Amino acid sequence: MPELDCPNCGLRPIEEFTFGGERPSVPDRITDPLERDVDYAWMHDNVNGATSERWFHAAGCRRWLTVRRNTSLTGMTPVE
Amino acid sequence: MNEFVETILALEWHKPKPAYDVVIIGGGGHGLATAYYLATRHGITNVAVLEANYIGSGNSGRNTTIIRANYGIPESIRFYQHSLELYGTLEDETGCWIMHSTKGLLWLAHTESAMRAERARCLLNQACGAETVMVTPEEARSICPQLDLSGGGRYPVLGASYHVGAATARHDRVVWAYAQGAMRKGVDVLQHTPVTGLLRDGERVVGVETPNGPISAGLVLSAVGGNVSTVAAMADVRLPIRTHPLQAFVTNAYALGFGPIISDTELFCYVSQTARGQMLMGAEFDPQPSYSLGSSYNFLQSCSAKVTHLLPFLRDLRILRQWTGICDISTDFSPIMGETGVPGFLVTTGWGTWGFKAIPAGGEQMAELIATGRTPAMLEPFRLDRFARELPMADQGSTGTR
Amino acid sequence: MLALETIPGVRAAADAAAIDGMVVAEGAVVLRFAPDEVFIMFPKPGRELNEGFAQAIIARETGFVGCWLTLEELAARVVAHIDWALPVERPALAQGLVAGVPAKLWLESGRALLLCAAPYAHELTERLR
Repeated sequence: MPELDCPNCGLRPIEEFTFGGERPSVPDRITDPLERDVDYAWMHDNVNGATSERWFHAAGCRRWLTVRRNTSLTGMTPVE
Repeated sequence: MNEFVETILALEWHKPKPAYDVVIIGGGGHGLATAYYLATRHGITNVAVLEANYIGSGNSGRNTTIIRANYGIPESIRFYQHSLELYGTLEDETGCWIMHSTKGLLWLAHTESAMRAERARCLLNQACGAETVMVTPEEARSICPQLDLSGGGRYPVLGASYHVGAATARHDRVVWAYAQGAMRKGVDVLQHTPVTGLLRDGERVVGVETPNGPISAGLVLSAVGGNVSTVAAMADVRLPIRTHPLQAFVTNAYALGFGPIISDTELFCYVSQTARGQMLMGAEFDPQPSYSLGSSYNFLQSCSAKVTHLLPFLRDLRILRQWTGICDISTDFSPIMGETGVPGFLVTTGWGTWGFKAIPAGGEQMAELIATGRTPAMLEPFRLDRFARELPMADQGSTGTR
Repeated sequence: MLALETIPGVRAAADAAAIDGMVVAEGAVVLRFAPDEVFIMFPKPGRELNEGFAQAIIARETGFVGCWLTLEELAARVVAHIDWALPVERPALAQGLVAGVPAKLWLESGRALLLCAAPYAHELTERLR
């Protein structure tokens, strides 16, 4: 079972957490302010590799944490 | 029961030509169906379907084979109902046996709020041409005698919506039927041909790069599953999609006679019986975005436990096979079809965990768009630019996942 | 069947450094939910926090229910329903899913307190039956 290491609570199964999404990153090539808003609100990098995401420890300390992990690999493998 | 080898041998495979009118990336159901309808309905046969692996090796061969139209917004109901009807005539049209079987689907409700949602679903379905009716727990039990109405004591069944037209079909056979139909009309299907880049002429996409060399194209359609963001990025197209794994499994065989498909949005699981007698189950997609096809023991455990609440005869189930697909989950849980804003580059994507049922309609409508250059009315609500126009097609409650 | 009862206390949210420097009445049990949040159970009701702790949000909290368990009870009724490793030091606070319900465990050397939010009380007792 995938696990996440919460700095407050320790290693916990992924079902204790709520996924909050990766940090939005609007590409610089989009310059129109309205288009940037649309991209910020809806679009995702959906990276196949290293990502930086926010997770909420809903069943534990109820704090947000930043998780850097590799989406190419199984489970919650962190980025080294 | 597996005639994969015979089917593959019977097909006539081609070497790539240097140029095609249409190049479709992705040899799954949607890509092959689009090629099939281009060839059969519009006479466009100078078409290539490029598949990185073998045809049907992605999500088309990894789903739980359920065909239904009981969605929660009018545009989706009409689209999926059309698809459900096309599936019903697909064997006659292609001459291929896809093991289509109309079973009906019980969508169970365990709380008053779920009952309200199912009542609303029934009314909207009926208004939009899909046959879905509310049934009492006793009626649900007569449709599925194996059902425990107390839900193992914890999830009592208060009622259910019954989607009469729901069906299943053998997913590989659907892929092969479309591949065979398209290839007989002259479409080239190129297996083991990954697309490594797109050829550009200014802004316009004019072809694809492959390890065997470039192929130019009048038009490129991405019918890619989980890896769609990578392909779209080659055209600088941004998509509202995250790729999540979805797991499923089959059990040992039970005596045939489990009639309907059982689905449950509160427990997030669905189960049906295959023609071999195995119980085929799936549940919600994994919470973390990932491109990994790895499976987890936790999923087997939680999904088995949930299903056993409803179907106690499964309490000693054994698991035969487990697999994972990576799903292109769109932000509003509806598909994205059509133009991308980049000339020469179209997408059919955002099929998440609901793509199999949409293969015939998705292929037919995309073919019409390509052939005529105009977005058919049925596809209009599902354009990519709906997000910029602030018209998302939010229908998460109908996906059966999460 | 576990008898979960309201466990009254005081909940304080403040800067982590301020909580580190907090002084509470003797005998009070301090559960550090997060670096910036504590839940304090006082031996006698009505005792307040010290004055040097002004920059904080302090509120009486009656939203938790719980019960004290012997180590035998803990081992027999609860541990099998936890899918993560309990801390080894004592005393210690552990937070996470217990039988699929968000709960907290305050582990002392001779006993343990099982806590959960009041709305989950019924579900938790049912699942630990």
